[in-house]
Amino acid sequence: MMGYYIFTYLCLAVFAASVLWRIYRQLTLPVHVRWEIYPVQHEPAAKAAYGGSYMEGLNWWKEKRRRSTVNEILYMAPEIGLMRGLWKENRNLWLFSFPFHLGLYLMLVVFALLLLSAVLLLLGLAEDGAVLSIIKGFTIAAGWIGVIAGAAGSLGMLYRRLADRDLRAYATAADYFNLVFLLLFFVCALLTALAADPFFVAARLYILGLLTAGAATPAYAPGQSVPGALTIVLGSLVAAYIPLTHMSHMFMKFFLYHKVKWDDSPLTPGSPLESAVKQNLQYRPTWTAAHIEADGKKTWQDIASSVPKEMK
Amino acid sequence: MKDLIKPADISKPSAGLCRIEPGDLATLPPPYEDFNATVLKPLPADKVKALETSLDDTLAIGIPKPATPEEEEELVRRFLSGLTKLFEKKNNWTFLQPLLLSMEHCARCQTCSEACPVFEMSGRKEIYRPIFRSEVLRRIYKKYLTPGGKMTAKWTGDIDLNWTAIARLAELAYRCSLCRRCASVCPIGVDNGLITHELRKLFSQEMGIAPKELHEKGTVLHLRAGSSTGMNPLAAKDSVEFIQEEMEEITGYKVDIPWDVEGADILLIHNAGEMLAWPENVGAFAILFQAAGLSWTLSSETTGYDAVNYGLWYDDVQLARVALRHADIARRLKVKKIVIGECGHAHKALIETSDRLLTGDLNIPRESALVTLEAIVRSGKLKFDPQKNDFPVTLHDPCNYVRLMGIVEPQRRILRQIAPGFREMTPHGVDNYCCGGGSGFAIMSGYNFTDWRNLVSSRKKFLQILQAFESEPPQTPKYVCAPCSNCKGAIRDILGYYDAEKRSRLYYGGLVELLVNALDGMKKPIILFGDEPSWK
Repeated sequence: MMGYYIFTYLCLAVFAASVLWRIYRQLTLPVHVRWEIYPVQHEPAAKAAYGGSYMEGLNWWKEKRRRSTVNEILYMAPEIGLMRGLWKENRNLWLFSFPFHLGLYLMLVVFALLLLSAVLLLLGLAEDGAVLSIIKGFTIAAGWIGVIAGAAGSLGMLYRRLADRDLRAYATAADYFNLVFLLLFFVCALLTALAADPFFVAARLYILGLLTAGAATPAYAPGQSVPGALTIVLGSLVAAYIPLTHMSHMFMKFFLYHKVKWDDSPLTPGSPLESAVKQNLQYRPTWTAAHIEADGKKTWQDIASSVPKEMK
Repeated sequence: MKDLIKPADISKPSAGLCRIEPGDLATLPPPYEDFNATVLKPLPADKVKALETSLDDTLAIGIPKPATPEEEEELVRRFLSGLTKLFEKKNNWTFLQPLLLSMEHCARCQTCSEACPVFEMSGRKEIYRPIFRSEVLRRIYKKYLTPGGKMTAKWTGDIDLNWTAIARLAELAYRCSLCRRCASVCPIGVDNGLITHELRKLFSQEMGIAPKELHEKGTVLHLRAGSSTGMNPLAAKDSVEFIQEEMEEITGYKVDIPWDVEGADILLIHNAGEMLAWPENVGAFAILFQAAGLSWTLSSETTGYDAVNYGLWYDDVQLARVALRHADIARRLKVKKIVIGECGHAHKALIETSDRLLTGDLNIPRESALVTLEAIVRSGKLKFDPQKNDFPVTLHDPCNYVRLMGIVEPQRRILRQIAPGFREMTPHGVDNYCCGGGSGFAIMSGYNFTDWRNLVSSRKKFLQILQAFESEPPQTPKYVCAPCSNCKGAIRDILGYYDAEKRSRLYYGGLVELLVNALDGMKKPIILFGDEPSWK
């Protein structure tokens, strides 16, 4: 039994390390030049509706910038939860992609609920009390919908990638593996729920065991069910694997949107942004085309302020 | 059904990866059906022999074929060196974060493909698919520059790197107009336009490879002579003097275009191409600014009378050099703000992208002329008679300041006030389609590239224009308002190529011309439909 726990611990450690590494890398990259695309959703709702920006205003630099976090949230909630962008632009794919992503989201929800109920159990809440009963109800609903949607969605996505020549032409072995891998996980989870654990009781016990390194058993004994054991192994591997691949867009989308697509902050005198840019201008590039005239010693500022020979 | 071209095919020798056959291109409606079978004229045999032509039917750069295998190897080495630098902070702080994010998170869902006018209009030619060049670069990067890449290539998508692939990639970087419509629809936020931009940079900044219209005749000439048109300050002043005389005929009074006025409120910078190709645009600004009583000036300093900045499209260093020069001129003139005339990429280059290059006293406030024009109209100081513009008008949205800067409504609010026949294109605003001349295409005319632009990259815009006016009789003159020099150039060329003035009575021009055309007190109209005045 302990072997399963150790395996899951290791996978969660890989998950955490790779997520942290990806985020750390983004946070330590130099500030880049502006490259936004409109609509930028933190503009006030009236402007965001048609894609307008603060630059539509006369002497805009004299005006106080109005940003709407509410508007941003109102946009992102259906974008993340319902995949509105894909619905709008590529509905055929959405039909498969949405259940696939819904399955993954609900697996996260189930994990969080199982974790919560395990913690509450450890804190001494009665198992048949109102709180844990409500959590259990949500867990069962989210679990069943999630595994069915995930299995159907990953099967559909696999079918689309094989059947659609445009998708097939760009698919790599890794793309097929990812889908088969996730399909296997969802199928195993579905079989476990059908055959052995329809109310996710054993799953909660496994999480409880994880939280206490097996001390708070009765632990789930995966050996009692092959799909159960496979679900634990595959689920742990999925958690470790996703942040190592392009599927990390699940959380990296934050940077794609907030740090590029919607990064419209103007440079103001004396701001931290200006300091960051000044620091960037001290980098010493080594581009070798003749007109750059970089030698590894001149800074970006030197080069940008200079007029090379051919331009004199 | 033909086999699809796949990313790995880019390195496999062949006469060409893409050929447009008669009937392949998107269908044009009557009275333009006779163009539906038109294809590009083949490149001359001597060009095919001497230049790298194995991508498609046209050439944007025209790279000479390497003379020896050693030369090829050296070029491959330099490409890899440049690719490495794209991922280094010291070399590419300007775009490293956006590039990494777009390289690492594409799900290859093809949502971008349907948004691309070049891909759609070409008859869905695979090499023009937005993801095609991105995927080629992604695979090269993974295989050749990441640890263990060669061992995992079969897993992550294999590709061979050779001179054939590189020469094709260089040309392919100039089959996308950087309109970034693909990026705007990507559910994840991946930007294939950005990857194309970075490819162009790699070729320019490391290998010295760029279309001559952008580099030698573009940024280099701009910094050396003062303008990418080749006009030196004296020639610019001569042109403006001529424009003043023309404007006096229209207004009936003396129009003074001020030069180098220290302490003026506004330094107005036009795309200098306007002075030569569309002098009425420069003149119309002068009439309005003078009539509205604005304090403004032009600069006669080298570079200061030409707002273009072709560096935006292919080279960050050249972008920075031109932007710094513009800002420094404004700083020394002690103006309160820079106003950019009707030039889309100049807007983006100086107001937005260079914002994080201009620090300290070079950070002069910068504004779009459309905003300034709207303020003039709303001030009520000037009277306009919309009936003088009583003809069908549609508006083209330049990608650079609409989708990419969010300046969407000022121009519309003006048109609603002064042009009763204004109607939108479908789609419009931030969902607009590129004119087909973006990212330098409008000024690139070597070999048969102009024909490729007219036939493929501008085709969607032509269809949109025809659709906007489909309810109008052919004999009614119609005005395509394109407040951007490069867009105007591209639209001028499509109207000419398809004989649209004769067949549909289509004309084009800027926004400021419509304003002056409707301005009270003008002796003559500034807008003509051929020889016919727009009002009498």
